[in-house]
Amino acid sequence: MSQKSGSLGRYFAIRLALAVPMVLILLTLVFFMMRVAPGDPVTASAGGAKMTAEQIEAKRHAAGFDRPLLSQYGDYLGDVIRGDFGTTISDHRPVMDIIVENGGATLTLTLAAMVVALGVGIPLGRLAGRWRDTPFDVATRLFGIVMYAAPAFVLGALAQLVVVKKLHWLDDSSLQASPLVQLNTPTKTHILIVDAMLAGDWDAVNDIFLHLILPAGTLGLIIAGVFIRVVRVNLIQTLRGDYVEAARARGIAEKSVVNRHAFRNALVAVTTVIGMQFAILLGGSVLTEKTFSWPGLGNQLINYLNARDYIAVQGIVTFIAVVVVGISILIDFVNALIDPRVRY
Amino acid sequence: MARTKRAIAAATVGILAATTLAACGSDDKDKNTAGGGGSTVILGTTDKPGSLDPAAAYDLPSWTIIRNTFQKLYRYPEGSTTAVPDAAEKCEFPDPKTYTCTLKPGQTFSDGTPLTAKDVKFSFDRMVKINDPNGPAGLLAAMDTVEAPDDLKVVFHLKAADVTFASIVASEVGAIVPAAKYPADKLADSGFVLGSGPYKLTKFTADQQAGFELNDKYKGDIKSANGKFVIQYFPQSSALKQAIENGTVDVAVTGLSPTDIQDLRGKSAQGIKVIDGIGSTIRFMAFNVKNAPADNKAVRQAIAQTVDREAMIKQAYNGTVDPLYTLVANGFAGHADAFKEKYGAPSKEKAKAILDAAGVKTPVDLTLWYNPGHYGATTADEYTEIKRQLDESGLFKVKLETTEWEAYKKAYAAGEYAIFGAGWQPDFPDSDNYVAPFLLPDGTFHVNYNNQAATDLIAKEHNSADPTVRNQAFTELQKIAAEDVPFLPLWQGKQVAVTRPGIEGVDKTLDVSVLISFWVIGKK
Repeated sequence: MSQKSGSLGRYFAIRLALAVPMVLILLTLVFFMMRVAPGDPVTASAGGAKMTAEQIEAKRHAAGFDRPLLSQYGDYLGDVIRGDFGTTISDHRPVMDIIVENGGATLTLTLAAMVVALGVGIPLGRLAGRWRDTPFDVATRLFGIVMYAAPAFVLGALAQLVVVKKLHWLDDSSLQASPLVQLNTPTKTHILIVDAMLAGDWDAVNDIFLHLILPAGTLGLIIAGVFIRVVRVNLIQTLRGDYVEAARARGIAEKSVVNRHAFRNALVAVTTVIGMQFAILLGGSVLTEKTFSWPGLGNQLINYLNARDYIAVQGIVTFIAVVVVGISILIDFVNALIDPRVRY
Repeated sequence: MARTKRAIAAATVGILAATTLAACGSDDKDKNTAGGGGSTVILGTTDKPGSLDPAAAYDLPSWTIIRNTFQKLYRYPEGSTTAVPDAAEKCEFPDPKTYTCTLKPGQTFSDGTPLTAKDVKFSFDRMVKINDPNGPAGLLAAMDTVEAPDDLKVVFHLKAADVTFASIVASEVGAIVPAAKYPADKLADSGFVLGSGPYKLTKFTADQQAGFELNDKYKGDIKSANGKFVIQYFPQSSALKQAIENGTVDVAVTGLSPTDIQDLRGKSAQGIKVIDGIGSTIRFMAFNVKNAPADNKAVRQAIAQTVDREAMIKQAYNGTVDPLYTLVANGFAGHADAFKEKYGAPSKEKAKAILDAAGVKTPVDLTLWYNPGHYGATTADEYTEIKRQLDESGLFKVKLETTEWEAYKKAYAAGEYAIFGAGWQPDFPDSDNYVAPFLLPDGTFHVNYNNQAATDLIAKEHNSADPTVRNQAFTELQKIAAEDVPFLPLWQGKQVAVTRPGIEGVDKTLDVSVLISFWVIGKK
């Protein structure tokens, strides 16, 4: 037992140690790429004609953008190590405030999309695996492949066009809720739907839920394609297993064999995929949130990129990178716990 | 273990059921809306504020919030370019380099902190000391020192005579902040607003929403037509258009495309009204007078004689902007259509005569630079039409060029472009702001224009508080600009607002300040 724990601990320590250079390389790349791009926050926000070249230079000097790059880089790394992501240049928001305020919207969308993905993907994958090579299986596989292959911006734009603009079934997803709901919901967690629940305002929850359906539904369906394939393939494999044959030989009903013996084992692979999809959703939030105009971290990242706001971009990218790396380590850890072979 | 799973499953089903039941509930969006004058007005826009701290705020969305939440010594009432007392009872120039103000007694900030002359001195000193890279401290360049000899008196000492200082302090750069609540040498926390204006900020979620309610400590003369005001920020024009169509917002301003506006004009049967108001943004072609072929006055004049603004506006902007025939925008003191007077209707015959008289060989090769990235995608249509007009005259052979905004700014500042498109939004509503940055030798657009007569006239209007003297100077300056054509004014922006049924007063706030005054907008 102790040997097993030691092996797991060493594996975990190595994974953690590897994460440090991974994040460091990313931070360094972001830092230097932002600085080689044309423009800086002063010129980007100056509106062009409002300041003379001398005034712009004076303000660049005051902000420290004319200091040697290595000196700026050293200060930046020092601040990050101290947990200080700084304050944005373009709108003077502490980066931590952005992470807290807009991270709530990203988290809400990610979790809701995951609920949809699991709710659609697992049952369909299970049925497709159980009724392999039937028309239902073919249709489900086709659906899964189309969903998985469809870029989020295409499916998102189509969904908005049909559901919002043509059918008028839902409001545009660019708001988390109606303005008065947003105004009157007391902020406690910065996760609007949770705040509304805490306030016991079920009309507000309803409103937020309605605004969430479209982006979460579309994103969820895209990810559902992955789950359909994973569950189907794993169910088919487990149904071929000796212990399943043994169960059948014992006269256990097929429904029970699938549900209690094969399907549960097939779900083990899903845990890995869930983690990976969370990471993909967070890392890919730039694209998905822009598609749905969802007021999360990804949308903020685009805005700050346009404003050449080094501090904001560095802070948000660092945060997303740390979360993705964290999830990746967690998946590795869970996998190692479940399957000792991965430690070697 | 099985019990735990069942509990989790039950909880999940419970949450889903609760949210689904809630989803089936009533759609009572206005449940918190008070009626009549206490109503909540929701305004939608795509323009988001850069900062709520006056020391770092230098954009229209930020200044809109400052206009409604802070007092200044003087303020511009809606629809007027003549400032009236706000926190001050009276301000005057006892001599050309001193500006003194006496505050109204008994004023407080929205938290009850007394507003004194020390707060005014603190606000101006703080603005200059912080000198934020994105802030408006540069507008106070004329100020040398400021004193507060007692609780009600403020004395500004100027570096040189400059009557426009009165206009500057009445703009949002003059917002008064409480010395006890704002840091003296750094910006306040993000989202913190404490002023003495007619509204106070109650909730701010960056890039999403700003909520305001009436400031019950406000002692000024503004009466509000609403009880609460909400600004909802939208990421894109299409979302804003949909929001005004389905009633998510009561008013939509800034951000709607010309196509959206045209579409909304056709929805009057649903009670949706499109209101046009005057704007102060201007667009023009700039000529670097030391760079061929723009170094030849005859070439510049011939271009001015050829360009048909009305045809260009019809083609590119669908009538959503007005033609501009002078540097000083319509609605400002001294405005005179100097280019129209000098050149009359567009005429290629007259243009040819100008070029022939100067011995210029035609067609003249022109490279026209423009920037749709910064000035909007429609700029491409605008310059395509201008090219068509100039080419069609047979007098010019035009090549259009564009580049990324950062490179564009650097290039025109370095004098690399002979002719380029640019735009201007005044910092304060004074005609001086349409001539000094353009016609002084060290002008903002680096066109190398230097005319002693123009420089003297600008000094004259800077030194005189007499409106007649100043207006005469502005008229002369506009004539000089039409004669020398260092800039060719093209159009003046309009403001457009779209309202839902029952919304009143929006037309009153669409003035040259281009800032929304919340208090005039009411909801039946």
